[in-house]
Amino acid sequence: MAKKITAFVKKYPAFTVFFLLALCVIGVAVFAPLIATHDPYEAVLADAVQAPSAEHWFGTDKMGRDLFSRVIYGARTSLSASLTLVCIIMVVGTFLGIIAGYFGGLVDAVIMRISDMMISFPGMVLAIAVAGILGANIKNAIIALAIVSWTKYARLARSLVIKIRHRDYIAAARVTGSRTSYILYKYMLPNVLPTILITGFTDIGSMMLEIAGLSFLGFGAQSPTAEWGLMLNEGRAYMTAAPWLMVFPGLAIFITVVVFNLLGDSLRDVLDPRHE
Amino acid sequence: MKKMKKRRFAALALAAVLALSMTACGSSGDSSGTDNTATTAEAGEAADATTTASGGTFTFGCDYFSEYIDPSVNVNSAWSLVRFGVGETLFAFDEDAVAQENLYDEATTDDYITWTLHIRDGITFSNGKDLTASAVVACWEMMYEKEAAGSSSAPSQYLPDPTFTADDEAGTITVVCSDVTTNLKGILAYPYFAVINVDSYEEGVVDSVIGTGPYVLDSYVEATSKTFVKNETYWNGEVPYDGYTAIYMSDSTTKALAIQSGDVDVVENVTTASDLETLKADSAYTVESTAGGRLANTYFNFEGVLANDALRQAIQYAIDDETMCNITVGGIYTAGCSVLPSSMDFGYDQLTDPYEYDLGKAVEVLDEAGIVDTDGDGIREIDGENINLTYLAYESRQLQTFAEAVATVLNSIGIGVDYQVKDYDTILGLQAAGDFDMVTANSIIVPTGNPDAFLGNFYSGNSQDYGYYSNEEYDAAYEKLIVSTDEDEKMELYVEMQQILIDDAATIVHGYYNSSITYNNSVITGVEMYPLDYTWITTDWAPVG
Repeated sequence: MAKKITAFVKKYPAFTVFFLLALCVIGVAVFAPLIATHDPYEAVLADAVQAPSAEHWFGTDKMGRDLFSRVIYGARTSLSASLTLVCIIMVVGTFLGIIAGYFGGLVDAVIMRISDMMISFPGMVLAIAVAGILGANIKNAIIALAIVSWTKYARLARSLVIKIRHRDYIAAARVTGSRTSYILYKYMLPNVLPTILITGFTDIGSMMLEIAGLSFLGFGAQSPTAEWGLMLNEGRAYMTAAPWLMVFPGLAIFITVVVFNLLGDSLRDVLDPRHE
Repeated sequence: MKKMKKRRFAALALAAVLALSMTACGSSGDSSGTDNTATTAEAGEAADATTTASGGTFTFGCDYFSEYIDPSVNVNSAWSLVRFGVGETLFAFDEDAVAQENLYDEATTDDYITWTLHIRDGITFSNGKDLTASAVVACWEMMYEKEAAGSSSAPSQYLPDPTFTADDEAGTITVVCSDVTTNLKGILAYPYFAVINVDSYEEGVVDSVIGTGPYVLDSYVEATSKTFVKNETYWNGEVPYDGYTAIYMSDSTTKALAIQSGDVDVVENVTTASDLETLKADSAYTVESTAGGRLANTYFNFEGVLANDALRQAIQYAIDDETMCNITVGGIYTAGCSVLPSSMDFGYDQLTDPYEYDLGKAVEVLDEAGIVDTDGDGIREIDGENINLTYLAYESRQLQTFAEAVATVLNSIGIGVDYQVKDYDTILGLQAAGDFDMVTANSIIVPTGNPDAFLGNFYSGNSQDYGYYSNEEYDAAYEKLIVSTDEDEKMELYVEMQQILIDDAATIVHGYYNSSITYNNSVITGVEMYPLDYTWITTDWAPVG
């Protein structure tokens, strides 16, 4: 086992490094209560907007809350929201794409026309509209982004399925009486999965940015939630006098997005046989 | 390896192409936004010119309240008319919020119902036409007609059902009020009663509004800027500037950066605490501020869980107004305990506040009243139900920050608060429907020089829009107040009514807004902030040197 792992690490050093870094980010989220130095929601109004110090490593925000603890806890909100969002769009998009690609005809036309409608709007604008109608909170921000983001997976899955659905082994499966659900699960899904997974991992970073963007604009997480995009917005008014209010949440977003983007890229090397 | 290098090269080349195309797009974007860019650039040049040329012009950064400077469109456009120095009222508030003579020079009444006002001689509109009594009456009658036709400008809110009669030969206007009106001067100082020339006025045409003020609207770029030129026929002395440009900027930090970069010479109401601190600390600028007649408060809904006296009292104990005003919102408010501002003469020093900040006492009051957390979820309960107050706020003059701070403090003592920031119109709708537990407000307490109308918000006959507060003693005092003509009696009633509201913990008083105006010392002088900020640009604003 150890040998296998060593061989894997040697073969994919980039993936290993980024995987470990991603684990660190997830670790920060999971062990936030152990890492945070203060209660992220405890406000001491008299200590508002203090500069970084030994007591408050990243300073304090306008409500006198410890910024370091809020950035740490923000990992929970941002990560869980992005992972949930990516899972939703991956599952929904892949399912609809496989169905559309395999059955073709009317089913394909309906699903793909809906998809076309979705992508004909600027994604963020549609997400803002949806979040505006549903109300501003992190749950609705995820729903809004899911509505506009599933299409990519559907189109991807559909094209991959179309590529193989007329292959001989699929015809053989049909002739031998395999049920459609069996064919979809046993032949179609495994064929689309690597590409979908790579896309999903690469999307974690961009979805995190989209959620942070919605929160920054006031359509996502609401105060006092510790969420990086919201923290950026709260710090905006203090940009010149207390830049740390924007710098630290900004850095947190930057580091996490870079780690997950590079992880997605390196995963491509692992899963995509064409990169062999 | 070679392949890898090729790929990297291709990637780099692609990135370079993308970067170049983005730069190109950026450039084209700049040049396509001609209106804004040109306006700002011209404004900058104008600012530079001010320091060297005599007369010259200045630039003024302000919020975009309305496209119009027409008193009949809405309240903001009426204010803009006076604020931009285009229109004037018969009376104007001075630095002590007392209505003083302006376009009139004599007012007489025997019964406070029929008033005779004499228009000052020799005043003309900026188009050269004389300001006659009938011109004033024509303007006011137009205002009432438009209100009846559905305009949101509502002069009858302050002066219901009056009749106006003009006597051009004597130069007088007779105003017959529907009831005893002791404060007619203050009412006529409100921007709804600013006078414009009805003959030249065309509905919906922004630059058809002609007033008697020191400046005249020359041109405008919609939602971007307005350029004003001097009124050559101004009646009240020489106008020091040839003109000025008002540039709209709603974001407070943008205002602060604009004056620091020299794009504007004067800005009104920088509300972000950090920016205001920076400007105050810089000797190049002067920040003129005054504790004005604006109150930031939170109304309670007495038809919900906040009908509970102990809960309201605990909330009052829990709120540290001094810290919130001085630190949380950075000093743009002055803390106080009463709905009437401490800076005005309404007997503030005779009031006592039984709910001085004491967080421990807040907890004690809740515990004693049996408002405790029995299920251990961190939220106290009343009648077995978790307290979860819906707290509505809108973004204006840091109201949302007050609400957030209050919500944070209340959550810390086990009072659940669902704090929501919504736009102003939505808040008004929810407030009118009673769909809230707490709602923030920012009101001018003395719009016409006295607070009678505002105090009516707590009168049980009117309070349906403000949380259904009701107190028989208060109602009786209010009924006496609105018919009283005796100043001493009115003062006693003001004190009595304020104390009732304080004792009842009827509303959270956050503080009194310190309106501010910031100017560049090397460019402009004479800029002053009035407590009733209908007045911004006057002939006192003059170039340095």
